[in-house]
Amino acid sequence: MSVEIDLTLPLARFALRVRETLPAGVTAVLGPSGAGKTSLLESVAGLRRAANGRIAVDGQPLLDTARGVALPPEKRRVGYVPQDSGLFPHLSVLGNVRFGAHADERAVGAAIDTLEIRPLLARRPATLSGGERQRVALARALATRPRLLLLDEPLAALDVRLRERVLPWLLRVRDEWALPCLYVTHNVGEALAAAAHAIMLREGRVESTGEPRAILGGLASEAEEGIENLLPGQVVSHDEASGITRVSTASGLDVAVTLTPENPVGSAVTLAVRAEDVLVAVAPVVGLSARNVYAGRVLSIERTGVDVTLRCALEPGGVEVLARITPAAVVALGLQPGGPVWLAVKSHSISLLGAAVRG
Amino acid sequence: MGPDELRIVLFTLEMAATATLVVLVPGVAAAFFLAGYRGLGKTALETLLTLPLVLPPTAVGLLLLEILGRNRPPGGWLAAHGVEVVFTWKAVVVATAVMSFPLLVRSARTAFEEVDPRLVGLARTLGCGPAAAFFRVSLPLAWRGVVAGTVLAFSRALGEFGATIMVAGNIPGRTQTLALAIFHDTQMGRDARAATLAAVTVALAFATLWVTEWLFRRRARGEAA
Repeated sequence: MSVEIDLTLPLARFALRVRETLPAGVTAVLGPSGAGKTSLLESVAGLRRAANGRIAVDGQPLLDTARGVALPPEKRRVGYVPQDSGLFPHLSVLGNVRFGAHADERAVGAAIDTLEIRPLLARRPATLSGGERQRVALARALATRPRLLLLDEPLAALDVRLRERVLPWLLRVRDEWALPCLYVTHNVGEALAAAAHAIMLREGRVESTGEPRAILGGLASEAEEGIENLLPGQVVSHDEASGITRVSTASGLDVAVTLTPENPVGSAVTLAVRAEDVLVAVAPVVGLSARNVYAGRVLSIERTGVDVTLRCALEPGGVEVLARITPAAVVALGLQPGGPVWLAVKSHSISLLGAAVRG
Repeated sequence: MGPDELRIVLFTLEMAATATLVVLVPGVAAAFFLAGYRGLGKTALETLLTLPLVLPPTAVGLLLLEILGRNRPPGGWLAAHGVEVVFTWKAVVVATAVMSFPLLVRSARTAFEEVDPRLVGLARTLGCGPAAAFFRVSLPLAWRGVVAGTVLAFSRALGEFGATIMVAGNIPGRTQTLALAIFHDTQMGRDARAATLAAVTVALAFATLWVTEWLFRRRARGEAA
């Protein structure tokens, strides 16, 4: 299963120019807003007539302008899930899922079961929550037995809590349906959790391509959006009585997160912590409810916008963690590069991003 | 109201219904086309289609008379094939259809313009050809505007006067609709009959619009549930 893309599409400010062969599995499409990510998906789906070049799935061309091939969208068999789900408001959930399925009841049933939307079938899209809508949109795409999935920021319209609830469904689709997938996202954590491969678009060009972690290294420290701290690790234990799942990070930290029994002991996960959720102290912390307290050193103090970003190295393993605090806090605490620091993170502020990156 | 008046009412309803049926498909097609058309001459095309709304109906009638009269190619050709239009019931249908057409197109076009084009694109990726996407997504989502436009067209056809009298004349029993009969009766001093027929037109128009409103409300409740 591979997807070949050799595409040119004139856009308002620049031309989209992508030439990539994507491996099987999920490819994250990253990049700033307006980089051409959605245009790329729409070209693959056949919704951009000006698209020029060649796009092939498993050697079968969807587009090959040199040979006069340009399959209309209805012949391409790609499943497209946009950011706002794009459910048909005049149809029930079942009507939506069945829409493209051509009476293939087995595919409809399988899609409904994968996304566990059977209780929703009679409802109208307007009555669904954001997370439910995205699950229905995914099921609708899957029910057509697509050869390729195109996900355009499928979680972006959801708040942080909902994202964490919907992401596992996406991972389940990835694992159970084994489809090649182009996954547009702004969110570093999502890309790391879902994708084995990533391309970074900027102004319509592929800036870099490869393993998501390698590509995102720079972006994560830019701390523009999404989650700044990402720590790969392994589930050590689940303790239902205390409501805690213990994770040991690759760098040797012992981290307590809220109970997530769906990740079996021993499974690889990615811990995600926002820089603003990291508490900073200049003395050993006692009597605090936060479960995770680590000693370290300040590496650098940088002004980022109205805030200050603190780069710290934690003692075990020297792993780097970013914390965002106010300039006033820097003064009040007398923080200086090289000085000692204690960082605390509540279990609730740590997201567990499901099964980790696959090679 | 005697059998004569009843016949006028039935004839008027029949003409209006026929005219509405005639404009329905081309009207919806034109509305859909204009809603999606971004090419050259869009404004000119829209203006041309709206023109009958603002012109004096008698002017439109005169134009139709020119086109459909025996002296010109279209009318002459029709006459040669045994189809007489001018001063027959067919002229009533043509005149009312031309006058109703823009109302249907305007209302339906707005409705089609409000359909999110991305939903249509999604329907395409889900396996619909352009025609299937129209019938399964665009039309169901625009149906209120299409129905409203159809009702407006029908109501307009019920009351059409100026264009009809030019092309179809005012022949009792053959081309005389309610609007023409009211005018005729007033001219002839039959004020009571004119008033009766006027009351009937009010009742008809009211009933048509009321049924539509009721239909919309019922559907709106059903969709919210």
